[in-house]
Amino acid sequence: MNLQAIQTLFLKDLFLSRWPMFGYLLGGLLSVAILCLPGPTMGFIGFVLIVTVTIAAGIHLIGVLMLSEPIDMTRTFILSLPVSLLDYSIAKISVVLVTFLIPWFGMLALLTILTFVVPEANVGVLVPLVLMFLFLLVGFCFQLVVAVVTESVGWTIVTVVLGNISFTLFSKSMGEHPVISEIAKGDVLTWPPIALQALVIMAAVIVVTISFAFFWQSRSRDLV
Amino acid sequence: MSHTLDPSLSQASTSVSMSAASLRGVSKSYKHFQLNNINLELVPGTVNGLIGPNGAGKSTTMRIMMGLVKPDSGTVSVIGQPSSSRQARVKQHIGFFSDDMRMYKSETIAWHLQLVRSFFPGWDDEYANLLLKRFGLIANQKVKGLSHGQRVKTMLLLILARHPQLLILDEPTDGLDPVAKQEVLAELMQIVNDDSRTILYSSHNTQDVQQICDTITFIDRGRVIGASDRDDFLDQWRRIKIHAPAQWQPPAIEGLKLESTFGQLRVFTLDRYAADVEAQLQSSGATVESSEGLTLEEIFIAAVARGREESQQ
Repeated sequence: MNLQAIQTLFLKDLFLSRWPMFGYLLGGLLSVAILCLPGPTMGFIGFVLIVTVTIAAGIHLIGVLMLSEPIDMTRTFILSLPVSLLDYSIAKISVVLVTFLIPWFGMLALLTILTFVVPEANVGVLVPLVLMFLFLLVGFCFQLVVAVVTESVGWTIVTVVLGNISFTLFSKSMGEHPVISEIAKGDVLTWPPIALQALVIMAAVIVVTISFAFFWQSRSRDLV
Repeated sequence: MSHTLDPSLSQASTSVSMSAASLRGVSKSYKHFQLNNINLELVPGTVNGLIGPNGAGKSTTMRIMMGLVKPDSGTVSVIGQPSSSRQARVKQHIGFFSDDMRMYKSETIAWHLQLVRSFFPGWDDEYANLLLKRFGLIANQKVKGLSHGQRVKTMLLLILARHPQLLILDEPTDGLDPVAKQEVLAELMQIVNDDSRTILYSSHNTQDVQQICDTITFIDRGRVIGASDRDDFLDQWRRIKIHAPAQWQPPAIEGLKLESTFGQLRVFTLDRYAADVEAQLQSSGATVESSEGLTLEEIFIAAVARGREESQQ
């Protein structure tokens, strides 16, 4: 493993995806701001925008950084440089994750701050919000794995659609869950066992999917 | 190196330790194509041409050498290292060009120079700047604004300024206008003068290969069908026209093959020419009208035809 090569490849991709990444970060922060405006309509619009920005960021960044390379034939150029398959895989998957996590984390951080700062906000709402954000991250990790394994725009879109449906069902089930909906209305941040279980499961799924993406990418036989 | 249609005979003579690159019994199967038992040795300091029609397996062979495609069987060694396990280290010494290789459209030539430079400690800024001028390239120009010729020249600049020991060039002059092609070939000729460099140059244009290559390998339908020094190829292939009566039978001359008959006129090609061939034909009752050398293109076409015939038998 060549750390210097990994760093160079990582920074190269970070540079190439800087504008979409900042665009999604800005769009996400605006969505959070709208969510915090008074009135249920603004709250709903803000929520829909956050979900939309997160999903769009996932598709776009995977497309720009991962799926476009074989199509644009830039991958042969990069792989002609003194980098191993492992170096390439680590840099590529890391940069896709980081570019997604920057707007994702930015939104979550602002949301957390505003929940504590805005007097009208219920701090308990952070429990379902964190779970929903983590679910969106799980969905992104699945898209990433599918993109790595299939290198297909079509299959990645199918994964996005399935992820969207799952997210809708997940949000609905949380809204209907008596314990979580009760905590969301309260002004105290407590994590019930069901929420902690969900967090652990989702974290495990993220670790497994990302590990699988690394494993698959680094054992590929033919890269061009 | 003597010419033979059995590649293993001519190629096995060079030891692996002396090779800039070596492929031994390399095979690779795809759904509709198979690269079959490729043996190839590149002697340091030589320019090696790899000639084959489209889809012959030239690019796959080169990609295997670069470690971009893993063979199903066989061994690959480049700069004395196994190319699969020492991929990154091996690529420090290789400059690879492929026509289906692209730079980032939204970035400039200067950005690419900076990127590639960071991977090569021996990067030569002075030479890079010289090539920029020689090729008429503008460093601040974005790749999306480059013509095909400028794109090829930029790629070659990125390869040459790192001073690689081995250059693997997959059809670098394909699609270039005559002026750009000459500029590229002239630069390659300069490199050829450096005895420490080895070049593998693939093309289906035999003229380019004839111009710069010392040794030539013909490849067709995934098989090496001939490998030899360029001059040996040119010396040993002949077209012989004879006049002979209808019942005349040709003497047993190895590599002699009847191409066509027009009445008493018969046209043969021969791939193992010897000084006494004409005398043998004369003594068998034929009258030799002419015995002339073939161009590399004619040799290539004849070799492909023979190779295909042999594989069908």
